[in-house]
Amino acid sequence: MAENTVAQGGERKVSKKALAKSFRNWYYGNLTCFSQEHMQTFGYLVSMLPIVEDLYEDKDDQTKALQTYSAFFNTEPQIGSMIVGVTVGLEEARANGQPVDDDTINGIRAGLMGPLAGIGDSLIVGTLIPILLGIAMGLSQGGSVLGPIFYIVVWNLLAYFGMRFAYYRGYKLGGDAVEALVGPNAQALREAIVMVGTIVIGAVDATWVSITTALTLPGGGTLQGTLDGIYPKLLPLIFTIFCWWLMAKKKVSPIITMLILLVIAFVGALCGFFGAATIATAA
Amino acid sequence: MDTGKVVRMVINMFQAALLGLFACLASMPGMGGTSIGNYTLGRPLVAGLVVGIILGDVTDGILVGMAIQVVYIALVTPGGTVSADVRAACYIGIPLALIAVKAQGLDAGSTEAAALATSLGATCGTVGAILFYGTATINLAWQAMGWKWLEKGDTHKLYLVDMVLPWISHIICSFLPTFVLVYFGGDAVNNLLASLPMDGVPMKTLFAVGSLLPCVGIAILLKQVITKATDFLPFFFGFTLAAVMGCNLIAASAIACFFALINFEITSLRLKVDRVGTAGALTASVDDEEEEDI
Repeated sequence: MAENTVAQGGERKVSKKALAKSFRNWYYGNLTCFSQEHMQTFGYLVSMLPIVEDLYEDKDDQTKALQTYSAFFNTEPQIGSMIVGVTVGLEEARANGQPVDDDTINGIRAGLMGPLAGIGDSLIVGTLIPILLGIAMGLSQGGSVLGPIFYIVVWNLLAYFGMRFAYYRGYKLGGDAVEALVGPNAQALREAIVMVGTIVIGAVDATWVSITTALTLPGGGTLQGTLDGIYPKLLPLIFTIFCWWLMAKKKVSPIITMLILLVIAFVGALCGFFGAATIATAA
Repeated sequence: MDTGKVVRMVINMFQAALLGLFACLASMPGMGGTSIGNYTLGRPLVAGLVVGIILGDVTDGILVGMAIQVVYIALVTPGGTVSADVRAACYIGIPLALIAVKAQGLDAGSTEAAALATSLGATCGTVGAILFYGTATINLAWQAMGWKWLEKGDTHKLYLVDMVLPWISHIICSFLPTFVLVYFGGDAVNNLLASLPMDGVPMKTLFAVGSLLPCVGIAILLKQVITKATDFLPFFFGFTLAAVMGCNLIAASAIACFFALINFEITSLRLKVDRVGTAGALTASVDDEEEEDI
């Protein structure tokens, strides 16, 4: 993506080697030293370290510049590479004597980390990974190694090159790079990606969730047979929507939701709604 | 019930240590990094392959991993709040589930095996959240050292803080718990299951809850994408593709991409019209619509 490269004006330019090292440090180290208090701050510091060493000769200047990045930082690390790239561009501008101070850098950093975390969590963790896992589970039917290998290869290629792209895009375009993620064109793309994710997750629900009842009806026949006549896989659908309703509408936490399911399972097992015998026939 | 062979699987010290190492790499925050560690090795499907290789039964490992994967299909940790720990679900849950499935003589591909694996995996994942908070708390000590070094200008020691010292947190919170639980836990799980009759209420509850739990994973995902009632339609569409029309997941993805493409074209067109509209060329009715889309 060499087009639109913004000339940084001055004579100092971050070397290719330092950029590559900074990216590697972020790619690997963004969350390795996580704590609830500082989250990704130390990952950020080590990814800015090669940059300040490259830009400033004086040791004190390096330390001073690096201390800018000791402010709290947390975002979705894959898409967040872009923010690191943007600050590299800002640091370069500062090294060239442009009017960029700590507050400018931290203001931009803090302003970007929230929106990008939202996009990253919903698009990458909430959509891309479930789609890839859904396909991988389809490939793994019967325990084939094809599924995990598909996921390992495709996800890691996408993650590595995607993060690299975001990092360098952020460096070259600065704040404009983010425009491409939150602007109106990106909105259409995001909606489309979320749509794929929602359809696939529906298919995952129908394929991988297997809930059946053992109840027999007074007139002969089973309740399961009746339910299948209404709509196949009706029980997984009902229980999924029930869990969604609990968590989205009643603000119940996932752990409490699981405990509620445990109670339902116990009561269902007591009254014969759930039985080990019919679970087997459902496969 | 199923008529599979009853096998007593034993995990030796070397295997337990390897599982412990992978637990260090795969957790969140983990030593494998986010992409390779948490998002690759920390997905139960991949962990199923890894555990299968370590314990010498790849096929059953993947089947068990796949069952647990559905519960954790959309593990998002917004703002670092964690309701489940992947290292525990993957590298404690999968080995113990594998032992239990074999001890019960179940066929790993069967629905009962999946339900049993899901119950065990989700229990480990939920209780394991302690490990997440433990790791993050110990990391605070390294970070405190880091601030001092940064103050003094000892900047290269930051590598130590970010990439080396957290290994100590993981030896305490990932390696040791995994090692101990998979090495000694197998017998405990077997004894517990052996004491429960297959047709008793506790066992039926275990199977039933195992079949219900994946709904939570899918519902967590739905919670993110559904903001209004019509957002349910793509979900029902996908559900119908698989449940009624018999599409497998690859076919469903292909169909999904096709509809998403149409949706993309329409949305782009609409946004283009909107922009022309706001530029003053088109009527006010277009502007009204724009207010609604967020």
